Amino acid sequence: MVIRIAAVGDVHMDRDVLGRFRPALEELPDRADVLLLAGDLTRHGTESEARCVATEFGNLGVPVVAVLGNHDYHCDEVPRVIRVLEDAGIVVLEGTNLVVERDGTRLGIAGAKGFGGGFAGRCASEFGEPEMKAFIRTTQAIADQLGEALREMDCDVRVALTHYAPVPDTLAGEPLEIYPFLGSYLLGQAIDSAPTELALHGHAHAGSERGTTPGGVRVRNVAHPVIKQAYSVFHLHAPQAGRSGKVSAITRSGSS
Amino acid sequence: MNERTRGGTEPPDDYLEAAIQRLLTEHTAIAEQGLTVTRRDHSLVVCGEVESAQRREEILRLVLERFPHLPVTVDIGLIRTQAPSEVEELR
Repeated sequence: MVIRIAAVGDVHMDRDVLGRFRPALEELPDRADVLLLAGDLTRHGTESEARCVATEFGNLGVPVVAVLGNHDYHCDEVPRVIRVLEDAGIVVLEGTNLVVERDGTRLGIAGAKGFGGGFAGRCASEFGEPEMKAFIRTTQAIADQLGEALREMDCDVRVALTHYAPVPDTLAGEPLEIYPFLGSYLLGQAIDSAPTELALHGHAHAGSERGTTPGGVRVRNVAHPVIKQAYSVFHLHAPQAGRSGKVSAITRSGSS
Repeated sequence: MNERTRGGTEPPDDYLEAAIQRLLTEHTAIAEQGLTVTRRDHSLVVCGEVESAQRREEILRLVLERFPHLPVTVDIGLIRTQAPSEVEELR
C-alpha cells in the first residue's frame, strides 16, 4: 500500500504569482493522491490574496489540505481567508484532522500552524513577563491540539502538517540566532506522541530538506525556496506488522 | 537581472543592516522574511529568492528609495516552479 503525497509551503500567493504553479499542478492527478500546503499561502493574509490561492490551488483533481502560516495571519483576516479557501474545496486544518481514503488505505492528516519557542536546551520558558508566558502558552496550546488531532485519528498512515518546524534538523542553513522564531520542540513532542509516519513543514526558507524527530519520525521541510520546484512528492508505504527500520530513497519520477 | 549595484560610497553600519532587514519584512509592498542582508566590503548585499520578477524589482526600488546613499547589491533569484523529476520513497 503506497500513498502518494505532494507538498509545498510558503508559496506567498498574490496576483503577480498567479499561473506560475499551475502547469506543474495540472500534472498532479497522475503524480499524487493528495496535495498538502504547509502554510504561508499568501503574502499578507488578505481575502484577495486567498482568492489567488483558491484560483491557483483549487480544482486540481486531488484533495488539497492546508495549514496557515504566520503571513496568513498578518492582516487579521483569518476567518475570511479560511472561508475563501474552503469555498474552493481546500481543507484548512487548525489543530484538526482529516482522513482521506485511497484504494482502501486511510491516510490521516493532522495539521496546525505551530509557533516558535526554540528547541530542547535552547528554548524559551513560560516564565517572567506576561508577553513571554503568552508566547510559550500559545505554542504549548497549539502543540497540544496537534498531538490530540494525531492520536485520535482512525487510519492506516499518519502525517503531521505544520508551518513552523518541529525539529532543528531542517533549519540547517538558517542563522542559529533565529531558530526560536522558526519552530519548537513542543511540536516534535506532539508528533512523537502518535505513531506518525511523516511530518511536513515550511517557514524556514534557508533551511534544509530532511530531518528526524527524537522519536524517529521523518521530517521534511517543503518550503518552496528549499525544494525549488512546484511541489515535492513522497511515496509513503503503509507500515507492515513485524517490519522494523525505516528507509528513504530518491527515485526518478514515474518509477517506484 | 540577478545583480545590480547602486548607491553611494559610505560603508554601511550595523544599524543600517538591521533597518534594511526590517524594511524587507515590514514594508507592505515587500513582506519578505526569507531574504538575507550581509556586508561585503563596503556594500550591503541583499540575497535570496522571491516568487516573481515584479517583487524583485520592487525590493530594489524601495531599498534605493529609502537608502539613496547606501551602496547596495541586490542578488535575488526567482524560485523555480517546474514539476518534480524525482519522488522520495519512504518505507
